[in-house]
Amino acid sequence: MPNSHRSKLLRIYISESDRHDGKPLYEAIAAKCRELEIAGATVFRGLEGYGEAGEIHGPHLLQHAQPIVITVVDSAAKLSELVPVLEEMIETGMMAVSDVRTVRVQKNGASATGHSEEHAG
Amino acid sequence: MLNTGPAKKVTIYINEDTQTRMVALHDAIMSYLIRADVSGATATRAYSGFGSHRVLHTPKIELLSAHMPIRIEFIESPERVESILPALAEMVTDGMIEVRDTTVVRIANPETPPLPHERRQGHAILLRVFFGEADQWQDEPLHTAIIRKLRGMGIDGATVFRGILGYGAKGHEHRKSFFHPMRDLPVMISVIDTPEKISRAAEAIEAMLTDGLLVFSDVEIIRFLRSTNFTEVASAKQPSI
Repeated sequence: MPNSHRSKLLRIYISESDRHDGKPLYEAIAAKCRELEIAGATVFRGLEGYGEAGEIHGPHLLQHAQPIVITVVDSAAKLSELVPVLEEMIETGMMAVSDVRTVRVQKNGASATGHSEEHAG
Repeated sequence: MLNTGPAKKVTIYINEDTQTRMVALHDAIMSYLIRADVSGATATRAYSGFGSHRVLHTPKIELLSAHMPIRIEFIESPERVESILPALAEMVTDGMIEVRDTTVVRIANPETPPLPHERRQGHAILLRVFFGEADQWQDEPLHTAIIRKLRGMGIDGATVFRGILGYGAKGHEHRKSFFHPMRDLPVMISVIDTPEKISRAAEAIEAMLTDGLLVFSDVEIIRFLRSTNFTEVASAKQPSI
C-alpha cells in the first residue's frame, strides 16, 4: 500500500459488566486512551461470547454482560506506553496486538486536530 | 424432479362447478398434483369460454356465472407426465387435457445434488475502515455507499460494525446520547480479499472518505464455500481466495 505507515492494532476483550472506579470499564479505557493522546479508540459490543471464566456473556434481562472489544490503532511506541496502564485497569480480559499498515484519510472539510499524523513512522 | 431442458406442459380445461366425490374437480386435481409431487401447478379462472356443450360461459349471465372455465397448467418431466396422465384422464370426466412439448429455461429451485463445501485456505488482507455513522456520500450513509461500491467491484465480502463509543482524529467523541439528536456513533467496515483486490478496494474507499482511517493487516484465512458450478466459473476467471 503506498504512503501507508507501519502501526500497531490493539484489541482489548472485556465484559460490558466490568467496572472501574464506579463506571463501565470500557468508558474508563476510552477516557484513558484520550488522556494519553492515543490516536483513536473504538468500542464494539458483541452479541454473545465467552471467555476465561467460561460464563456465557449474553444479553440478560436485568444486567448487560455482553462482550466488549475495544480497538485501538497507534504507533508501537504509543501502544507500549498504553498497555501497562491498561493492565492495571483490567481485572480479567485479554489484549491482542497485531502489526498493521495504516492510511489516514483527511480531506478539505475535515478539521485536523493534531492526533492525525502521530502514528507515522 | 423437474430440471432445465425439455419438458411437457399439461393444460387441463374444466368447469368451475364440476364436482367429483362432493368436492370441486379443480380442487381435487390440484390436491392430486401436489400429492403426486408435481413441481408446480397453477389454476386460472377464465373470463369467458365455451366447450363441447356449445354454451358460452360468461359472468354477464347470472345463471351461468358459477359455471366459469378453469384452466390448470403444470410443467413436468416427460416421464413424470406419462406416469400421472392415466390418473388425470380418469379424474377429468368432463373437460379436456392437452399435453405439449416445452423447454424449461430456468427454475427457481434447481434440484441439484448437494455438493460438499469447498475449503479454500490462503493469504489475504484484512482491511478495516474507521469513520462515523453520520458521514454521508451523495445523500446516503457512507457505510451503505461503500458496501454497494465494494459489491459492485466484486469484492468477496464486507461487514459493517457499529461501535458503542469511540473517538478518532476528529477529536470529538462518538457516543449515543438520549439528548443528542444527531447520531454519530463510530462505524468500522471490515473487508477481506486478495492483496490485489484489497488495494483496488482501498483506492475506491479513499476516494469516498473525507475523514477516516484505513488499517491493513495480513491474515491467513480459511474459507468455506458452497461449491456450485457458478463459483467454479467465477474462480476460473479470477484467482480468488
